[in-house]
Amino acid sequence: MNARAGGAEVALIGVAFAALWFAPLFTGDYGLQIAFRVLIYLTLAESWNLLAGSAGLVSLGTSCFVGLGAYVAFGLLNNLDAPLPVALAVAALAGGALAALVSPALFRLRGLYFTVGTLALAELLRLTMVNVSAFGGATGIILRDDPPPLPELFHYALVVALIASLAMTACARTRVSVILRAVRDDEDAAAQMGVRPFRVKLGAFVLASALGALAGGVQAVKLGAIEPYGMFGLQWSIDVLSMVIIGGVGLRLGSLVGALFVVALGEALADYPEAHIAITGAILIVLIRFAPRGVVGFAANLPGLMRKWAVA
Amino acid sequence: MPDIGVAASTIVSGVLLGGILALTALGLSIVLGVMRLVNLAHGDFLVVGAYAGLFFLKFTGVDPLLGLPVIALIVAALSVPLYRFLLAPLAERGPEARMMTMFAVSIILENVFVLAFSADTRSIELSYATLPLTIGSFSVPLIYVIGFAISVVLILAVHWLISRTGFGRDLRASAADAQAAATLGVDVERVQMLTFALGAACAGVGGALIGAAFQFGPSSGGAYLLNSLAIVVLGGLGNVLGTLVGGVVLGFLQSLGGLALGDGYRDLVGMALFLLVLAFRPDGFLARRSS
Repeated sequence: MNARAGGAEVALIGVAFAALWFAPLFTGDYGLQIAFRVLIYLTLAESWNLLAGSAGLVSLGTSCFVGLGAYVAFGLLNNLDAPLPVALAVAALAGGALAALVSPALFRLRGLYFTVGTLALAELLRLTMVNVSAFGGATGIILRDDPPPLPELFHYALVVALIASLAMTACARTRVSVILRAVRDDEDAAAQMGVRPFRVKLGAFVLASALGALAGGVQAVKLGAIEPYGMFGLQWSIDVLSMVIIGGVGLRLGSLVGALFVVALGEALADYPEAHIAITGAILIVLIRFAPRGVVGFAANLPGLMRKWAVA
Repeated sequence: MPDIGVAASTIVSGVLLGGILALTALGLSIVLGVMRLVNLAHGDFLVVGAYAGLFFLKFTGVDPLLGLPVIALIVAALSVPLYRFLLAPLAERGPEARMMTMFAVSIILENVFVLAFSADTRSIELSYATLPLTIGSFSVPLIYVIGFAISVVLILAVHWLISRTGFGRDLRASAADAQAAATLGVDVERVQMLTFALGAACAGVGGALIGAAFQFGPSSGGAYLLNSLAIVVLGGLGNVLGTLVGGVVLGFLQSLGGLALGDGYRDLVGMALFLLVLAFRPDGFLARRSS
């Protein structure tokens, strides 16, 4: 199904990312900083969108996997002299493993406890890092060696975002998408048809969490120093939730549009942090009510709406 | 190892605090049961109650523990427009839309608190709040005992309301099967609105009690939300008296964890307990194991 559209999508993603590879030749530090943030956010939004849009699992635990990835990557880099790609790969594995470990608790009550469970898990990990001095306590950990230069970090973020985008395409354009949506829309009916809802949700959760941890590892290396309040902060979850709701839950372009919007809004309101968060909250309420499929969904419906208005 | 009197005081204090928080948790539990909504702004409703108590004392000079009915009404009244204008229109859209809306309300409220009351931490200063109740080396703050007693009385009152009144019957029917209840003539939307207001009132009164015992600030809500959830899961969803037991057990285990590992571990114990109970006894540990 959709094999041709899927092939075209993969080709398009490939071309776009190949072109972006040369961005450091054309833009200065500020541009790269912004692009780096968009790529990290895009990765997180894609994985959140996979969970919520396809599997119906609303997570508030993005920070839990971002933070875990950051701490695992730093541990390997500082204590075992691991090469950066290895450290990041292990961070991703750790994210997936944690997701698998906690899934029996989080999938209770038809996912109603999933949201608060992920929230509690993030808090549990944060408190662990704060209290256990081996993890640096409240002051955190500093990366022993200097982080790589910005263009190199940008390339890491680009590869991570590419992996996330291709994973999303694989889930959206193959048989997997049908199974995911069947579980989201009616778990019981899906189970009747021979789908195992627990396994499907588990697969989506593990993949999304591994991607989150990977993004967290790259972000941490760029920061050069991590502490539990920032890496496990609720702000990650707020930003990711906003991106997908603004862009469009379950829509292929939703994550990208949302990531661009949220980064732009953050830049525009950088000097007014309180107003920034309050405005984000207001945008969320309005969109959930009036444009449940976000900006992308709204734009897709626009031609139909225009026709309706023209007739009326 | 601290001496036995100090250890006993710590544990009894923990149990009393757990009982105080159980009232807030009860509000969360009935909203979850009737509306299938995890109210992510519940902790912020608690903070509203704490600020209401603070300003009640400041402007009237009357002890806010006497003004608890007023505080309950204020917080309930504030929650009604939230229900009418934000939640009711999303009734057809599944639980996620309402939950995310309340999450947005939560982050807005926290910023409104900062703008209106500054980021300072405060507490409701009552003359007797710092008095200890002492028997030998055993000593607990008097305010904990008072708060616990008020909380228990109110939980019993809610229990009576739900199990003995007409509203309670409609509430239980709506929680069991909203569609069937509507068919039988229950005004489910009105029940939901009143349940939401009752839940908010529980959080508000709980907040006034907690504000008298502890310091609080604009962002205190998150931790209380998570601890309340732990209590709900421990006690079993929809079990009013179980919530009280859940609060006491959480308080007991948290202070035990604090004694054994250090004060920083109190909240960590709560979160770990929450996830463990979800994994192994999802109906609460009071529930009889069904075959």
